[in-house]
Amino acid sequence: MEETENMVDGLEVDELEEGVLEADGHEVDLDEDATEEDDDISFSDPEDFVDDIEDEELLDDVLSERPQEADGIDSVVVVDNVPQVGPDRLEKLKNVINKIFSKFGKITNEFYPDADGLTKGYIFLEYGVPTHAQEAVKGADGYKLDKQHTFRVNLFTDFDKYMVVCDEWDLPEKQPFKDFGNLRSWLEDADCRDQFSVIYESGERTSIFWNDVKEPIPAEERARWTETYVRWSPRGTYLATFHQRGIALWGGEKFKQIQRFSHQGVQLIDYSPCERYLVTFSPLLDTEEDPQAIIIWDTLTGQKKRGFHCESSAHWPIFKWSHDGKFFARMTFDTLSIYETPSMGLLDKKSLKITGIKDFSWSPGGNIIAFWVPEDKDIPARVTLMQLPSRQEIRVRNLFNVVDCKLHWQKNGDYLCVKVDRTPKGTQGVVTNFEIFRMREKQVPVDVVEMKDGIIAFAWEPNGSKFAVLHGEVPRISVSFYHVKSNGKIELIKSYDKQQANTIFWSPQGQFLVLAGLRSMNGALAFVDTSDCTIMNIAEHYTASDVEWDPTGRFVVTSVSWWSHKVDNAYWLWTFQGRLLQKNSKDRFCQLLWRPRPPTLLGVEEIKVIKKDLKKYSKIFEQKDRLSQTKASKELVDRRRTMMEEYKSYREMSHRLYLEQKDARLELRGGVDTDELDSNVEDWEEETIEFFVTEEIIHLEE
Amino acid sequence: MRPILLQGHERAITQIKYNRDGDLLFTVAKDPVVNVWYSVNGERLGTYNGHTGAVWCVDVDWDNRHVLSGSADNSCRLFDCETGKQLALLETNSAVRTCGFDFGGNIIMFSTDKQMGYQCFVSFIDLRDPTQIEDNEPYMKIPCNESKITSAVWGPLGENVITGHENGELNLYSAKSGEIVNTMKEHSKQINDIQSSRDMTMFITASKDCTAKIFDTTSLEHQKTFRTERPVNSAALSPIYDHVVLGGGQEAMDVTTTSTRIGKFEARFFHVAVEEEFGRVKGHFGPINSLAFHPDGKSYSSGGEDGYVRIHYFDQQYFDFEPEF
Repeated sequence: MEETENMVDGLEVDELEEGVLEADGHEVDLDEDATEEDDDISFSDPEDFVDDIEDEELLDDVLSERPQEADGIDSVVVVDNVPQVGPDRLEKLKNVINKIFSKFGKITNEFYPDADGLTKGYIFLEYGVPTHAQEAVKGADGYKLDKQHTFRVNLFTDFDKYMVVCDEWDLPEKQPFKDFGNLRSWLEDADCRDQFSVIYESGERTSIFWNDVKEPIPAEERARWTETYVRWSPRGTYLATFHQRGIALWGGEKFKQIQRFSHQGVQLIDYSPCERYLVTFSPLLDTEEDPQAIIIWDTLTGQKKRGFHCESSAHWPIFKWSHDGKFFARMTFDTLSIYETPSMGLLDKKSLKITGIKDFSWSPGGNIIAFWVPEDKDIPARVTLMQLPSRQEIRVRNLFNVVDCKLHWQKNGDYLCVKVDRTPKGTQGVVTNFEIFRMREKQVPVDVVEMKDGIIAFAWEPNGSKFAVLHGEVPRISVSFYHVKSNGKIELIKSYDKQQANTIFWSPQGQFLVLAGLRSMNGALAFVDTSDCTIMNIAEHYTASDVEWDPTGRFVVTSVSWWSHKVDNAYWLWTFQGRLLQKNSKDRFCQLLWRPRPPTLLGVEEIKVIKKDLKKYSKIFEQKDRLSQTKASKELVDRRRTMMEEYKSYREMSHRLYLEQKDARLELRGGVDTDELDSNVEDWEEETIEFFVTEEIIHLEE
Repeated sequence: MRPILLQGHERAITQIKYNRDGDLLFTVAKDPVVNVWYSVNGERLGTYNGHTGAVWCVDVDWDNRHVLSGSADNSCRLFDCETGKQLALLETNSAVRTCGFDFGGNIIMFSTDKQMGYQCFVSFIDLRDPTQIEDNEPYMKIPCNESKITSAVWGPLGENVITGHENGELNLYSAKSGEIVNTMKEHSKQINDIQSSRDMTMFITASKDCTAKIFDTTSLEHQKTFRTERPVNSAALSPIYDHVVLGGGQEAMDVTTTSTRIGKFEARFFHVAVEEEFGRVKGHFGPINSLAFHPDGKSYSSGGEDGYVRIHYFDQQYFDFEPEF
């Protein structure tokens, strides 16, 4: 793989190494000085002295750095197809060779073998360090000196390496197939329940629960399952746990370990949308020669596919995946690098140079990248949509007086909204434009909604054509719902003011959403149906820090995480309509994550049919619900009854003992029966207590 | 249910206790005064003076002769209940955390804190022997090495003392031999309060681990658990129903950083048999430190970190309440 970035790395190494060499030279000088001064007193050993100290004893720590015979062999290259010359022209040839090969590093040694007065047509060159030799192979192999002579450059060590390659190819040994059972078994639940993971006791325990309306049903519980947090894969197949030494993936019915990825100090991970690859990040261990800050792994084989340097990107994920997992891209200074799977190499072997690129994002519905570039002197800012792998620009939109842009894709990739903060000429302050790109139409038409308010949050309906915006300033916050009509017009459906919210959570199925005022806004919740834009319920989960919809859009969980707040750590389960079903307090509860579901296998038509016959199904479900409810209430009553009976029998036993001790009690209290409050009425003294009722009359001044 | 507010303390209430008849309510706080009130109307009957530090505990014997109080001024004092005269001053090496009269009212027990290099002790003094008081020489002094005692009550018939410890442990000490008769660990954190049922066959513990639990007095067997989200400072058993009341709230040291709303300073009522909550009473604007049921079960009182004592008479609704079974 020949890439520009590696070239740059190589050059930096070059400088470094030279520095080291200089320093070494200096040390030698010092030593020489020392020996000169030694002339006065003789420290020499007597002649018959035999040194009985082993090298190991004296300099065991540096012994491993002792020069070896083969040292430097890595720095030697062999150049073939060099013109054969006589001694008269040798000097000239050497000059030419030096000129070509010095640019990869300083040549420290050279050898031009000759026979019969002519050079043999191949030469040996030695560099100061092996990397220079490698650069020379990369850079000079295939170099055309003239018509007859095209250099072939190889590492000297490669000759040895390829000589010993066995001529016979052995069939790789077949790895035994490990059966992890049905990795999607949770989808076969008879009641179509979902699972979720819960971390609590400040991370000591992790549990998987089935979500049930009555109460969560434990599926798995483990102590110290993870050291920090967990992550589900995008289709719910794997659960990733974090450890000092790397990542472990768990799955199947019993949550067995399926794969391990060793990455010391791993902190962040990301899956490709197809679950085939895992990207891990660790701040430790990265070296110039061996990039392993970011590693891409194959989740099926567990193999490391490629390591990358972190560069200086601040936002995770650094690599963004295309929706099908075929490509992944990263942005560095003025550059957008797109890689392809499974080779993990740069697409078309080169990065895109995009001067000033600020942000980019893949469409979730096709291999299209959107990126934007800010204004540069007279060149306007622009948003570009690029088709891949063709790199064809399908739409470019120029924007003026831009402060900032944010790219928001609708989940199906039908629409792209670019939120543009602008400072138009002649006005004060910032206005925001929502530039709505209609991706499914020819030439991608764009419409604009302008807003003068400050924007707090924006969110697309996941599979619809509506979007919601929170705007205004605290405490005057409004929510507005817009609809992108099929003719492209953007219509304001409804607006509510005086909202207590700072985040929008759409149901993954669309239509319903929760407006939440998290953290500083005390956990105010509003449940909205956007089909007619009514607020179905207003509720509160005090100091809530997170809101999580289940993958089906039937339930929503609000929670107070120990990571953000130290008291009242709990998660509450609500229906999509905002009816509170459960309050689950867990000691030092940290995080709840729903297990994602893979996309449905049903076609559009089949879903339509189901929706049409919904009445038929809902009857069955209602009956089922009623049954389970009566069963539940019966269970509860039974449980209470047994508890009551157990308690009763305990009390009866205690009471018998109490009666037996009556004589002892009487004796201790001098014969006075104090068993009941009024059992010694004859001893009572009457006492009259006066109630003081003060009456104060205050005359109000007229 | 409009409560009667008793304003007789300047500092946080530490313990409140009714006498056997229920006409008097004794209250102590982190100020040096011991107050006694008519429980029926909240009128203050008088004070017992003498302490010079926070008073941690108070008790009155069954026939209202003596009042006993223990304080952080390193003393335990015995008062004449009716006149308020100080009858005895028992000096200790460290703060007195708990104290109590036995069933007959003849033997007193008090425990001292592990403090300033001194161990935690439980001391027993027989009041019938005047020399024990005069010489300040308890007939028995049991050292408690492991975890200090944070609450203690007498068992039935004056045979044993039940102690709750800082590590959540319960011990049953014989008042005769001083031996540990029984031990139990069900709580994971400090036991803040122990109160017996009226017949003394069981008792309830309130713990910092956010639970209150009922145990059998003789076997120390765990019977019931009541769960909340906050440390429980005090718990009391109703003398007439299968009800308990729990009080507590966020720890006093954290209270200033949060609103009363999040502190959860309500008194909470649970049904004993099914361990389910059925009611709450708001009022205090700090954690509740001590709770007591009136011996007739028709009212209860609470004392809080806010320095107030509130006497609550139950509404008819409370007596009409029937749990569904």
